[in-house]
Amino acid sequence: MGNKVKDYKLSQTREASDGHSLIPPCQVACPLHMEIGKYVDLVAQGKVIEALQVIREGNPFPSICAYVCTHPCEDACRRGQVDKPISIRALKRFAVEFGGDRMIELEAETAQSEKVAVVGSGPAGLACAYYLRKLGYPVTIFEAYSELGGMLRVGIPRYRLPREVVDTEVQRLLHMGIEIKTNTRVISIDLLFDMGYKAIFITVGAHQSLRMGIEGEDSPGVIDGATFLREVNLGLKPSLGQKVAIVGGGNVAMDAARAAVRLGAGKVSILYRRSKAEMPASPEEIEQAMEEGVEAMFLVAPIKMKRGNGRLNVTCIKMELGEPDTGGRRRPVPIEDSEYDMEFDTLITAIGQAPQISEDFHLRLGRGSTIQVDPVTLTTNRAGVFAGGDAVTGPATVTEALASGRQAAFRIDDYLHHRYPLPEKEAKETLSGELGTETIEMIKKIERLEPPLLPPEARTKEFKPVELIYNWETAVDEARRCLRCGMGAEIIFQDKCATCLTCLRVCPYHVPYLDKWGAIQIPADQCQACGICVAECPAKAIILRKPYDRRHINEELEHTLKSAAQSKSKQLIIGFCCQYGLFGTGTLAGLWREGRAGIWIVPVLCVAKLEEEHILRAFEMGAEGVFIAGCGERCSRENTAFWVLQRVEVVKRVLSQIGLETERLETLNLRVADDDISESLDNFTERIGGLCLASVIKEEVKR
Amino acid sequence: MANSLFEEKLNSNEFLVTTEIGPPKGADVSEMVHHIDLLKDKVDAINVTDHQSSVMRFPSLGGCLLVKECGGEPIYQVTCRDRNRLALQADLLMAYSRGVTNVLCLTGDSVDVGDHKEAKPVFDLDSVQLLRMARELEAGKDMGGNELKGAPQFCLGASVHPEADFIEPQLIKFEKKVTAGARFFQTQGIFDLESLKKFMQYASQFNVKILAGIIVLASARMAQYMNDNVPGIIISQAIIDELANVEKGKGLQKGIDIASRFIKTIKEENLCHGVHVMAVGREGIVPDILAAA
Amino acid sequence: MIIAEQKSLEEIRRVIAPYEKVLLLGCGTCVTVCGAGGEREVAFLHSALRVAQAKSHDGVHNFSECTVKRQCDFEFLDVLEDKVNEVDTVLSLSCGIGVQVVAERFPDIPVLPGVNTSFMGMAKEWGVWDERCAACGDCRLAETAGICPVTRCTKGILNGPCAGTKDGKCEANKDMDCAWILIYKRLERLQQLEKMRRYYPPRNFRVIPRPRRIVVRADVESGGDNG
Repeated sequence: MGNKVKDYKLSQTREASDGHSLIPPCQVACPLHMEIGKYVDLVAQGKVIEALQVIREGNPFPSICAYVCTHPCEDACRRGQVDKPISIRALKRFAVEFGGDRMIELEAETAQSEKVAVVGSGPAGLACAYYLRKLGYPVTIFEAYSELGGMLRVGIPRYRLPREVVDTEVQRLLHMGIEIKTNTRVISIDLLFDMGYKAIFITVGAHQSLRMGIEGEDSPGVIDGATFLREVNLGLKPSLGQKVAIVGGGNVAMDAARAAVRLGAGKVSILYRRSKAEMPASPEEIEQAMEEGVEAMFLVAPIKMKRGNGRLNVTCIKMELGEPDTGGRRRPVPIEDSEYDMEFDTLITAIGQAPQISEDFHLRLGRGSTIQVDPVTLTTNRAGVFAGGDAVTGPATVTEALASGRQAAFRIDDYLHHRYPLPEKEAKETLSGELGTETIEMIKKIERLEPPLLPPEARTKEFKPVELIYNWETAVDEARRCLRCGMGAEIIFQDKCATCLTCLRVCPYHVPYLDKWGAIQIPADQCQACGICVAECPAKAIILRKPYDRRHINEELEHTLKSAAQSKSKQLIIGFCCQYGLFGTGTLAGLWREGRAGIWIVPVLCVAKLEEEHILRAFEMGAEGVFIAGCGERCSRENTAFWVLQRVEVVKRVLSQIGLETERLETLNLRVADDDISESLDNFTERIGGLCLASVIKEEVKR
Repeated sequence: MANSLFEEKLNSNEFLVTTEIGPPKGADVSEMVHHIDLLKDKVDAINVTDHQSSVMRFPSLGGCLLVKECGGEPIYQVTCRDRNRLALQADLLMAYSRGVTNVLCLTGDSVDVGDHKEAKPVFDLDSVQLLRMARELEAGKDMGGNELKGAPQFCLGASVHPEADFIEPQLIKFEKKVTAGARFFQTQGIFDLESLKKFMQYASQFNVKILAGIIVLASARMAQYMNDNVPGIIISQAIIDELANVEKGKGLQKGIDIASRFIKTIKEENLCHGVHVMAVGREGIVPDILAAA
Repeated sequence: MIIAEQKSLEEIRRVIAPYEKVLLLGCGTCVTVCGAGGEREVAFLHSALRVAQAKSHDGVHNFSECTVKRQCDFEFLDVLEDKVNEVDTVLSLSCGIGVQVVAERFPDIPVLPGVNTSFMGMAKEWGVWDERCAACGDCRLAETAGICPVTRCTKGILNGPCAGTKDGKCEANKDMDCAWILIYKRLERLQQLEKMRRYYPPRNFRVIPRPRRIVVRADVESGGDNG
């Protein structure tokens, strides 16, 4: 991939191929509402470039999310009800790396006259600038520090988000023609309006650490988490001493603790006033910190600190959990007379952060010093001034900030065009609900594959990224675990339905049922989209909500037949091959590229969806042999081989009645993997060559 | 009173011996005549089978006439497989008019087991209805209730399967046959005397004669084949093992030994009223069996 | 439900041989359910005929396909008027009733059967169909515990099992349950074995003079014009 890949269009129109599909829970949970199911499926097909395209359509900085997203999608993933959720974030990282995201160049032309100022260059600011620029606005970013990125640069440690990733995104924005003013602290909004900006987006983040409010908090050796991380991230190496304590249980506390380990602290302890279950930090962060030697002390809170003998004497009190608070977490209550003392060299406070908004902005502030905005329009109390990101929400995730920035861009566009905000797209039905126990039972359990991590000893010496990338095969296998929520079967022609109960009888997951009025129902929230009932329905009344698969087979087959007709090779063998297994992992694609004479591959999105008609069509168009290659034991579905063999038998019956040898139709790699698919294929082609029949190839291929 | 020689013997307390002959596939009856001559004086009556196993052959009534001509006592086997009620009635009238009065009323094997699988299975009547119909003819009426000019008289028999693996429904049917007028029963092949004893404990309450069916087996393979393919045959594993344990070529002799042993035991222990020896295509060996018994 | 089976491709090709333009006509009711002549089967047959034609190089036929909701009522056939006028023959994949109704509706076009109408039955499981009713016109199910000996006993006998039953199966087919064993077991379970002890006279075949007609309307007399 030497050539630079051109920019992807900002897609506003939905592909018709989505049909009646419902929005799956992962997409609902994603702050950016990315089409997760779609790109995971593309990864499963081995189509990383296409996967990246889908990712880029929904996310301005996928490379950043690929590292740091807290993936609420995985919490919502219904695979979690079966075994474990799909490893969505890691798959995104795979697509970003293997799809060549860093090669993509973005371009934008100025199509609007109104200048827009973005104050702050954190993820929300960058996203807002990105989308505004895409919409054709001249955009200027004002940043108080010397480099763009906000928390991406000064908050998140490098081992979680390498700086080059942020640099690449910034370079891209520059290339798009975004004006950047670093080392520029905005002190007055009026001034910006005076400079000719017609709209202003305030996204200054929440960089101010909250104070614990206890005696001795300002002693030397006590440092707040935001400041500490900023210093570390800007390349300073603060001296910490041997024993370091971090107060707090959030991601900032984890970042601080792991950074302290990397700076050479001998012993790093986390002091958290509740128990492990209540820790707001993400579980893998906690786990990785523990692996790196960080110690956690629960149900403890410092109440007093004093510097003496070059060390910090910290008085703590033990806590117990009381009644749940409004957020549902149990409130910690001090246990009387349980004070005790501990000694540290350094104590880092990480109990929360808040925005710091200049009074000169004349913005109305709300709880926790955040800017008050209209949640739909993101407008503040001042005309033309919008706000978003942590400055509005308080500390939140990068992905939420990106979503906020994108929302701001479209709302600013509306504002500048004197429009009321329109719904972004036609509201589609979302899919929710638990999977039925019977369905869960029938779904094949497949282990979640995690990307490899650096071993803990290798991590703590430096700030290298901890998580490595999937290899191709693992990524494809992991992506294949997706249950394709919301893309399942639908009885589209109720008038055609003969209520024959075929669907009910063939469904491996026991999903279709007869309602009390005697009509068949296929509940969308249970269907696993295997497509078996679609192929078996004798009335052709069922389609998949995402009808892409069937059309895909038809199109690929026609395309292949046309190409084959033009080729000069004397024999024509058509192979319907599972796009997910063999093809997805490149095995068959390799065979194909080797240019085996006369073999034409029709990729199929699961061979269980292949219908008898498709096979016959191949013969009709002159194929001398047809093979169907599955994905062996790696198939993530139930019963695939059974149904393929059923249909093969039906076609063989017809072939023999026509006078064609049934050996012309073969299945490979179906129930179990062939040892050597290449050899099996050789044997097959040899047999076809040996059949020596009068050629059935037609002179020309016509409909 | 008796309608036939055989019926006279039924009325006595004599131990009865019957056997059966399958008519040929074809018009050459010489071998059949030979068998009739061989057997007619050694048994009390000779059954002539009616397209046994649904394999098309020379007719059973024709065979019965041959037995008569040779001076033997025939038992006319009638099945419902091939003829509707008109034909069945007509055949019975014909049989009576020629002196063939012993009639064994059977349902008949399924067409599917025979050599004309595409034939239309008739089964207008079943065995119980056939017995009743014969009784009606005796009473001078046909099935349509019309008067007959000259009523026939028969000695009616039927079959029963004491070794059926699910016996209760068979016994219900047995009682129906008794009620319908069967005077004697020839059982399906008996391969376990215990089941015969058990059956007789039950059957002795009825005023009918029971002739135990004795099938002569020639080899373990034949036994297994019959077990798998011939309707109404259930050969015990003990018998198959006994046949399997002899030298090659001695199978038939073993089969003869087993058959005579059974007959001897039945006779000596007075287990039932007689035996019906079925040599299945080897009619020639029947005298040897009887001699050995 | 009427159960049918598609005829062999050879037979279908033989009967359509004299005609160029052939309409493959599916039926959306019984034969759809039993997988013999619904839209899917019509499409598959269409493909198979085209492959056969390509293979034998005698490309004389021109096929079209259509599936109506039911072929056994004239009203469903009205939509076919134009289509039928354009073809030389109609290959009906409906049961024998549909074939005849189509023929009656379109008197000028030859109508050919594409399936063998087999029996009335039920789906035992996916892809397995069992006969259950022989339409004998003289239902005895009250006496036989709801299990029909006329249909399910290969001999259709009424007074109990023959001696050929073994392991609860029929002498004619070891995969087929002996109806009389089933009847006995169910009567026993219902404590109605006396029904089996009763004598049942020969069946009355007079109730099925063919063709039969049933009239449920009050104002029309039975019999008469059966054509």
